[in-house]
Order: sequence, then C-alpha cells, then structure tokens
Amino acid sequence: MKSQALQELVRKIFSDEEIRAQFIANPDSVLSKFSLTEDEKKAVLKTHARSGLMTSDSVQLEATIEPYAWWF
Amino acid sequence: MSKLLMAEIETLIAPLSDVSGFYDLVKEPLSEVRQSLVADTTHGHPWPLLPLMVSDTICGRWEHALPASAGLELLKAAAEVFDDIEDADSDESLSTKYGNPFAINAACALLILAERAFTRLKSRGVDCDIVVSLIDMVNSYYTTTCTGQHLDLSLTPEEAASEDVYIRVIGMKSASAVECACYTGALLAGANQELIKSFTIFGYNKGMASQIANDIKGITSMSDIKKPKITLPAIYALAQTDSETHNLLEMVFCKRNIGFIYAPSQIRDLLFSTGAIQYATIKMELYKQLATDTLIGLEQVGMKVAQLQQFLE
Repeated sequence: MKSQALQELVRKIFSDEEIRAQFIANPDSVLSKFSLTEDEKKAVLKTHARSGLMTSDSVQLEATIEPYAWWF
Repeated sequence: MSKLLMAEIETLIAPLSDVSGFYDLVKEPLSEVRQSLVADTTHGHPWPLLPLMVSDTICGRWEHALPASAGLELLKAAAEVFDDIEDADSDESLSTKYGNPFAINAACALLILAERAFTRLKSRGVDCDIVVSLIDMVNSYYTTTCTGQHLDLSLTPEEAASEDVYIRVIGMKSASAVECACYTGALLAGANQELIKSFTIFGYNKGMASQIANDIKGITSMSDIKKPKITLPAIYALAQTDSETHNLLEMVFCKRNIGFIYAPSQIRDLLFSTGAIQYATIKMELYKQLATDTLIGLEQVGMKVAQLQQFLE
C-alpha cells in the first residue's frame, strides 16, 4: 500500500510554504491536485482535523497514537 | 470477560506452583497482561479479548472461547520474552533480570501452556475437529509471525529502508497475530468462511494501525532513534528529503557509523519537520479506516459490531 501521491503531497506540504498555507486554509483545494485514492483523502483530512500539522511538541499526537501503540 | 480470562490463565499456570521460583518466573511476563486486563478501559481493550468479542458479535456466546483467548495470551507473553532476549534493550525483561537460560526456559513453558490451553476447549464443549483445526491455524499464523520477526532481525538497513518491505514485515510479525485472534473468535462462533475472512481483515488492519502507532511512538520517545531502528517515519524521510538531511539520516539509520555523534532529539525534530510523522500518522489512519469499513460491512449483514468498534476509538 505504498502511495507515491501521498508521499508527494506530504512532502509538498512540509517543504513549500505556499502549499502549506493553502492546505491549512483549504485542504480540499490542495488534495485535488494529487491523485490520491478516496481512502487516502479521508485519512489525510481526518489526521489534519484531529492533529493539524504535527510538530515535536504536539500533545494531540500522543492522544492519537497512545490508544493504538500499546498493543505491541 | 477480563476476570474470567485471568481465572483461565491462573488455572493453566497453577500446576507450576510446586516449584515456587519457576511459577513466579513464568507468571512475571503475564503480570503486565493482567494489569492491562484489569485496566482495560484506560487505553481501550487489550487484544486477548478479541476472540471473545468476535465470538460474542457472531453468535452471542463467548465463554466457550476463553481457553483460546488464554492460549493466545500465553503465546503473546512467550513471544515478548523471546523478543526481549533478541533485542536485549529492556532493563525489566526476564533475560536481563535472571539471565538468558532462565528466560528461555520460562518462554518455552509459556508456549507449552498455550498448547494446553487450546486443548481445554474440549471441556467447553468445542468439537475435537474444530480444536485440531484451530491449533493448526494458530500454528500457521505464528509461523508467519516468526518469519516476519526473522526478516526484521536479518534485513540490512538498505533492505529495511523500503516502505513495501516495512509493510510486509509488520504485516507478518504483528498484524498476523491480531488477525489470528479474530480468526479464532470467528471459527469458535461457527462462522462461515466469508464471515471468518471479514473478521480476519478487520484484525489485520487493526494490527497494522497499532504497529504503525507503536513505531511513531518509537520516534517520539526516541527509543528507535537511539537503537537505531528503521521504521516508517525514517523510511519516508530517507526517501523524501534533500541531500543534506538525507545524508544525516543515512548516517544515523543506515550507515550507523561508529563514532558518529548525534542528538536523538535533533533527529526526532527532523522527522517531524520533514512530515515523516505526519505521513506515518496518515498511514495509521488509513489502516484504521479500512478496519472501520470492514465493521460497517459486517453491520450491514446483521452483526452487532459495537463491541469491536471500541477497539478503533
């Protein structure tokens, strides 16, 4: 399930200030430029809605992964 | 469910109490399990409960599956002891505290007790043919788990730095165990092949999401940077960064040059700023979504999946 389009989208958001600002303001407008599957689009939007663009002091990230991470 | 599962495990290990040192040693890796079963509302449900919940979802009964849940829990505890011997990175492991010979012997006992647990299904009224078929399938799943673990241990850093390889390895070494738990519950509930397949797909995707989450935690806690261990965030960053950042990450994760000194927090911050953590979190969400979609499909054929939905919250 490797996705070049998803990798490309994330790379652009984190390396191009203009794309990043556009994504924060209107995620759908950026997503439409990449050939993501519907599932990928949903996953991108859900992740962004829950945690935003994550930084190392993101409190929300811990809350997102903790219920899952402890199984292994 | 938790209390009865703990009681089933206690019954299985009770015969070891004649030799108190051995009993305590075998019990130790299970104590974490018991804690998670007792506190199963803190972080959601522990996966030893999956066979029970899957069975309950399908046929409204789950007590007959208790020995199978106990068996899977004993297998999990054995795997963790072996894993600690292989990784040698935990101060709390049996191997660190008592030495490898004692740890290996305790892990072997846990494996044998797991086999005994499955045979106890007979006393719960499960047909012998089903018991044999289940033991065969569990052994097949855990052969896959061991193969995945072998790959994880033997891959060179260059081979490991591939998302396709990563997905294959975690699918084998981690998700297959959760898939197995769902298979077990579905088989013991008398489900047909189509239904069994749907529940195993749910288990696989939930297992994949959990392993990716665990690997993200390995970066945020910096444990996988200090080792170093190549997981999804590092794979993404190695593939998507420019030469300077790429070279630094390659020195840390691939070349592992002796004498190359780096601050783990710097690498962690780099994995955030390149989007590697964002990417891994999206992938986790993707698998979670696939698991949710499977439950929606099961609901449409009349299954009451509320209990299983709790595993995805």
